[in-house]
Amino acid sequence: MSQSKLEKVIAPKRQRMLDMVLALGGLKEESAIPLSRVKEELDKLKIELAPLTDAILAFPDSYFTKFLETVEKSRIIAEISDRGILKESISNLEKASSKIESESLKGLNKLIIDALDRMTKVEAPSETSVDIDIPTILSTISDLISEIELITDELEKTSKTEAESAQAELVSLVENLNLIKTKAQTDPETALDELQKIGAKTRYGPGMRAAAQVKRGKREGRIDGARFHNLVLDNMLTEAIRGVIMFILGKMGSKTVVQIGGLMQTSSQAIQNALVTMIQRGEIEMVGLDGDTPVFSKVRTEVPNSTLVLKIIVQQFRGIVKSLELNVAETANESLRNLQSVLERLKILGAYYETALSEPMNKLRETVDNATETLLTSQTSDDAENLKLLVSAGLEAFARFRLKITLEKGPTLVSGTNVYGEKLDPEVYQIMMDTYLDNELERGTILILIRDLGALTAHDLAERTNIPQDRILRHLLRMKRDELLTLAGENHGYVLYDVPRTPSEAEIAILTASNIALQLSEAKVELERILSELKAPDIGRLANSLEVFSKARDKLASVRVNGAVIDETTLMEVEDSIRSAVLLAYRTRAKIPSTRPKVTLEDLVDVDVPSVLDEYRNQMGYAPLLGFGTIEWEQSRCLGCKSCEIACPENAIELKPRIEIPKFFEISEEALSQLPSSRSLFYRTVQNLATVKPSKDISLENEVPGFGSVEVDLWLCVACRTCVRRCPGPENGALELELKWNLPEVVKHIISTS
Amino acid sequence: MDDNKSAVLICTCGKQLQLGFDFLETHVSKMDLTSSVTVHDLVCQEEGLTKIAELLKANDGHLVIAACSSQKIHPRIGQYLDSKGIDSSQIQYVNIREHSAWVHKDLDEANKKSVDMIRGTLARSAKSIKRTLEKKEIPPHVTVIGGGIAGVESALSLSNLGYEVALLEIADELGGHVRSLPVVAPTGKSGKEILSGRLVALQNDSNITTMTKTKVKYVTGEMGKFVVHYMSKDEEEKTLDTSAVVLATGFKEFKPTSMDEYRYGKNPDVITQFELSCMLSEGKLARPSDAKPVKEVVMIQCVGSRSEDYKKDCSKLCCTFAIDNSLEILEKVPDANVRIVYMDIRVPFENEMIYKESREKGVDYIRGRVSMTWEQDSKTFVRIYDSLLDKYLETPVDLLVLSSAILPPDGTSELSETLGYALEDDGHVKELYGKLRRNETRRRGVVAVGGVTRPQFVFEAVTDAQAGALIIHNELQGGKIESIARGAVLNLEECVGCSLCAQQCPRGVPLMVEQTEAEETDEEQKILFKATIDTLNCHSCGVCQSLCPSGATQLNFLSNDQLWSEIDATLEDAGPDYPITLCFYCEECSVSTIDIVGTRRMEYPASTRLIPVPCAGRVSIIDLLKAFENGASTVMIAACEKDRCHIGGTGNEIAQVQVDVAREILNAIGWNGERVDMFRMFSAEPERFTNAVNEMVKRAKKLGPTPVHDGTAGKWMEVSE
Repeated sequence: MSQSKLEKVIAPKRQRMLDMVLALGGLKEESAIPLSRVKEELDKLKIELAPLTDAILAFPDSYFTKFLETVEKSRIIAEISDRGILKESISNLEKASSKIESESLKGLNKLIIDALDRMTKVEAPSETSVDIDIPTILSTISDLISEIELITDELEKTSKTEAESAQAELVSLVENLNLIKTKAQTDPETALDELQKIGAKTRYGPGMRAAAQVKRGKREGRIDGARFHNLVLDNMLTEAIRGVIMFILGKMGSKTVVQIGGLMQTSSQAIQNALVTMIQRGEIEMVGLDGDTPVFSKVRTEVPNSTLVLKIIVQQFRGIVKSLELNVAETANESLRNLQSVLERLKILGAYYETALSEPMNKLRETVDNATETLLTSQTSDDAENLKLLVSAGLEAFARFRLKITLEKGPTLVSGTNVYGEKLDPEVYQIMMDTYLDNELERGTILILIRDLGALTAHDLAERTNIPQDRILRHLLRMKRDELLTLAGENHGYVLYDVPRTPSEAEIAILTASNIALQLSEAKVELERILSELKAPDIGRLANSLEVFSKARDKLASVRVNGAVIDETTLMEVEDSIRSAVLLAYRTRAKIPSTRPKVTLEDLVDVDVPSVLDEYRNQMGYAPLLGFGTIEWEQSRCLGCKSCEIACPENAIELKPRIEIPKFFEISEEALSQLPSSRSLFYRTVQNLATVKPSKDISLENEVPGFGSVEVDLWLCVACRTCVRRCPGPENGALELELKWNLPEVVKHIISTS
Repeated sequence: MDDNKSAVLICTCGKQLQLGFDFLETHVSKMDLTSSVTVHDLVCQEEGLTKIAELLKANDGHLVIAACSSQKIHPRIGQYLDSKGIDSSQIQYVNIREHSAWVHKDLDEANKKSVDMIRGTLARSAKSIKRTLEKKEIPPHVTVIGGGIAGVESALSLSNLGYEVALLEIADELGGHVRSLPVVAPTGKSGKEILSGRLVALQNDSNITTMTKTKVKYVTGEMGKFVVHYMSKDEEEKTLDTSAVVLATGFKEFKPTSMDEYRYGKNPDVITQFELSCMLSEGKLARPSDAKPVKEVVMIQCVGSRSEDYKKDCSKLCCTFAIDNSLEILEKVPDANVRIVYMDIRVPFENEMIYKESREKGVDYIRGRVSMTWEQDSKTFVRIYDSLLDKYLETPVDLLVLSSAILPPDGTSELSETLGYALEDDGHVKELYGKLRRNETRRRGVVAVGGVTRPQFVFEAVTDAQAGALIIHNELQGGKIESIARGAVLNLEECVGCSLCAQQCPRGVPLMVEQTEAEETDEEQKILFKATIDTLNCHSCGVCQSLCPSGATQLNFLSNDQLWSEIDATLEDAGPDYPITLCFYCEECSVSTIDIVGTRRMEYPASTRLIPVPCAGRVSIIDLLKAFENGASTVMIAACEKDRCHIGGTGNEIAQVQVDVAREILNAIGWNGERVDMFRMFSAEPERFTNAVNEMVKRAKKLGPTPVHDGTAGKWMEVSE
């Protein structure tokens, strides 16, 4: 049974089963580990954590004090023009302040609130008229593209340099891994220790947890030597490979399978196997193609705004090119091609230092907007009146541009025919155009307003435009779907919409800091609570809140104000403390299992699932699977009492309000005599009255006590046999479980083949 | 069981009844189960009563009395026999006056009907058994959950009635919401004043043990032996044995954080009405944000109440509380400006007086809603829509007070899982029957008083608490329960442990007990259960009997055999020529309505035969089918209206599903499902009964002979082959 083979065959259910072996083993363990031992482990953890926790708990304060100082000095908040960001930061900081007492957070909040107030007061929209000819604009655009390309080159170089510096680390990782591979053949225990050390470097969670579980299984004798050897050779090595893959994708950018294989000196086949599970686990995703080969990257929760902005520019520009005269069009086309290639490159880069692109990108956007505008004013057509009206309304360039094309094409559709040879009714066209014009006009107005005034709600927009609020909302939703708008928080219960903007360094800094402040304040409260009285059931939460600290620290280390990291010394100092604390918590978690006694591997058949279920579910997040089986229901022995449904721990069995009445007439005399008296009397009376034998079942609207048909959802059934045991029907009941594959047999099989 | 012969006593009602008594006497004396027939003129008078005593003695208690409604005559006879120390538990009544003589003009038909019904009742009587006096001693101890005004009051009342009481309160102090009310309308006293006397009494009362900071987790057992599991002050899980439970957990004020228009929870100067009450009763009226004095106050009514999103109905108290508080504000700050934004002002009873007072004192009432609240220059603003002026007002306020909805307290639904009371849709505890069984819950021995059943004013809660205490006293009888056990009796041998009785009993009387010893030796590792039923706790509706697949639980005054043989005997002469409609009627609303039909001499066809059952829920699908098997042309059940089942709300619904299934089955097996139906009626709706009976008689005629009459019933095998 090799890992890869099993993954092809019903992977999810098997996964549940393996989890089950490990967890039930863990559940059993408690009987072997006396309470005193648990207490001992907890005490030990407490002592080990004590010197670390003070530093950990103190670091946010220190950081945010410094952060506030820097922000005050550098006045970066004044640079922020996006109100959405300010509002979101305020909301974050307010929430954080409600959790913990912090002068620095309050100070920071006040600064931001002041900034927001100032912005609200100064509201003089500057009107600029533009009058530039197309070739000039195009040349500006092409200049800007070159600039962006240069920066992208830089970004790629940086990422490459990072990759190279990671290269050295990777080489040692791979060397190590290869050594362990060889060692695993002879000495699996040492090999597992070494693998765990690699795990600490790659920080790949699932791998670390699996290793800890296997180790525990071995220590407690649940996993025998041969099986252990197998697990290390196969599963554990694969997990280690996954860890290294994550390392590569994280530090060296997106890669194809072949590239990863080359870097790791491992066969593509092995990489491919490892990758499948990682995709299932939602850790990596495909981001593009290199030739025909898929390129993989770490799953990113957010696409950088500059990439989004560029996407829109490309769309807009594509429109411009279509309506240009031949010779100009050629230049424009080239620019378009360049833009598209930059977009592809940014997509592959994934995450990058956005701020570098901020300035040229914003300029590019303005210029492209201007170009569209100029294009519209310069060219005239029969519909010029309409167009001028729109222009004078100060409408958003992109929207107007779509409009222009439609206006030019429309009349031909009425006079001539479309590609299908159909003609358009002039009246219909008139109505269509009216609605369309209205819509585009309104959407344009909305976009202009949002771009100039910052994020707005449907309510604000309705007030400013006099367009009914429900119409505004419909436009907003449409534009949100077209990715023209993004969500930017809420205001008085209304959702704030904003155009995608490339955030500046200041904006990123403030937003990230406020976000992290909130996370840290929550984690701090939790951590203090847990540490005040460390109890065994809290160990998972302890690890989680420490993880929050760890991730927050990493994130803060990347926040820059005027190019510099804030409070770098504290961040560096605390890094090791946090990391060790996380490891200590995980280690203890692995050592103190849950608190359920009684279960042994041998009597897994007899596991009383309901009694261990809650605990199992808390641990794993889903119910244990004891095997696959089918439940047979015998109508003639069923009393319709619903006991099975009530007893089922998984809600897999249900008494449906359907009476299979034809079967009433097929019950043998012997079966009738076995039934409880009133039940058999009922069947006999029905038979005595009947003039025909029914052919169809009776479907009832509602539940009827005493009647119904039992249905089992095999997808939910965990074959625990509870329903069979509870059924009060005659002759051992109306239900029978036929186990097609049960866990103990599987375990035996695993043992015998290894 | 052997059939016993019974004496039959027929009453002529002072020779006033239009019936052929000679005919009755001749026919009844010929019946196998008759030992003697006596026709008497005045059974309800002294000489008649003496005759009854005589006949009982001669026939070992087996006596059928054919007279007027048992509703009238039974109490009189029972009282007389009790006073003489004679057992009357086996007497069966058949109503030949309201159910026959008074409603049928045709003497022959009325005679026939009366004879049939007497024959049926004789069959019931033949298998009747003596019921004896049973005694049970239970600890005279009651647990009151919740130490607010209702809880404190019921604890005191119960103690006065001689019970030991444990009063459990989740907070660290008794008094609940009332403690923080600055003034309680219409007394003019503060909440503390109202409580103080009671709290002193509580302290001096050695029968009452008060436990604060105590949270009830769950309750097991039944009336007489409940075990309350609770977390004590020191966070230890403890248990408490008790005989009954008073649920007085009060209410919870809705915290409108989710209603963004009010900025509650975000702006400290936005508070709820109860928070204002607390502020006023502590004498600290000031703006929470900066402790500055309060001058401008806007109160908003119906925050969350009368809203589809939160609480659908009116919270009843908030108007009065808002006016109380505004008067209190005006007293403390005479130049304050209080405005109440309302949808409708609802001040019941004498509270109207304070409404009037408030208008005189200058409280400003604005009909409309508040659409938005915001802060500007560290001031709070609200925008009010005045629906009478159709105008928006924007105004700064020092305090924005939200009269938010009154909700059931947290944990009500969790506790219901083990305490077994039913809940209304809005989460309050459902009372057994709003008109007649208030304060009682679905579970016997558990009463609910005060705000947990619905929003209540302080003195309503007090009355409620006293009523609850009396109900408990009625049930527990001071701990020495003594009565003739009339109800379901379980034959443990026959019980298969299917739990249908426990699932469906309207009062939660049957308990399922796991048979751990039997399980240990069971080869199939079966999970085995048996029911237990305390007959003294039973309400004798017969739902358990109707559903029991093995006949293990049966009413001791109406067993399956009794009812089946009664059906059989009543329908002895039923045939296609004179199609019979059999009517089971419940002895709650239906009997009362049918008696009124009699008193008003409203005619209906005499081809009807009536069989009394304690509750419609007693009629099982087998009973319905048996009626057809024995020759009935149509069968009906007369029952209480929906949600008005006197037994606990669900007996009639169980009957309904039996009828529904019977109808489907009849349709499937070649009959017409319309032959069976169920009709609901209140206790004084004679037309509804006559309409129902006419309908069923019409159907009997329309549908013609049944397959039983035709001889095709049971011949399905020949048809299918």
